[in-house]
Amino acid sequence: MDAHIKKVYVPMTETGFYILLCLQEEMHGYSIVQKVETMTEGAIRLSPGTMYGSLSKMEKDGLISFIREEEKRKIYKITELGREVLELEMFRIERLHRNLQEYKYGKCEVESSILYDTGICAGAGLA
Amino acid sequence: MKWKVAFFTIPEYVQEQDWLRFQHKKGWKLTDTVSPCFYKFEKCESEDVVYQLDYNQEGLSHKEEYVQMFGDCGWEHITDMMGYSYFRKPLLLMQEEEEIFSDDASKLDMAERVFKGRIIPLLIIFFLLIIPQLLILEGKLQLSNFESLLFGIYIGLFAVYVSVFVKYTLQYVKLKKKIGE
Repeated sequence: MDAHIKKVYVPMTETGFYILLCLQEEMHGYSIVQKVETMTEGAIRLSPGTMYGSLSKMEKDGLISFIREEEKRKIYKITELGREVLELEMFRIERLHRNLQEYKYGKCEVESSILYDTGICAGAGLA
Repeated sequence: MKWKVAFFTIPEYVQEQDWLRFQHKKGWKLTDTVSPCFYKFEKCESEDVVYQLDYNQEGLSHKEEYVQMFGDCGWEHITDMMGYSYFRKPLLLMQEEEEIFSDDASKLDMAERVFKGRIIPLLIIFFLLIIPQLLILEGKLQLSNFESLLFGIYIGLFAVYVSVFVKYTLQYVKLKKKIGE
């Protein structure tokens, strides 16, 4: 991954993140808009100018590729490079989330709740 | 039907949007434009309709898919002028007021597309024509009537161009600050 891509996309905008997340399956722009609206319970409604601009920018930078056209709608899918960027972002957001949890609940309890959630140690929450 | 002349400089697309929305509220909806500053309106019911301008040359060269994407989101494409595309959507169809850009990063992207497509050509004219011509005319001891007229025109152009550059820069810096880069 070259420096330009890293500079532009890590960290990326919420819009960019949701586009890459959705494009793990083949999709066109408007279906991404609808899916993101459902995923965020209506909190994020992507606008068409933002969507069109982001998709063409990401295609030019090789993060997504054009697959085919269906009824005047371009269908895209994430590329290998796009996946790498998405993984970097996921890692960053997970770290953010972990630190937030630690801040809110203290370190030990978070660790035990992770164990509890994953079922590794069912009794951890009580300990 | 009526025609109106209105002059908005390149960075004034927000003012242009507000003006078109105001016309629609008064019962005149935009139906067409002719470069560089002519707007055609048709009488209609007074309604609060949001007007938005995009500047996207790639969109214009893939116009069907471009317009389709906006149409899917409820934005009607009206016309294009000087690289800008004009869209509108009635306020009634929105849950809260929408724009065609849902984040500041994509607003900044548009401002950068405007810079490449519209401001750079002006900079070239400014530095390769207006400035040299002013310097040449200014260096002459005596100006003929024609040269005086020319000098006046170049001074006028100089002022207009500088004001466009300043307005564009201020708007860009404001947007950039908002994003916090």
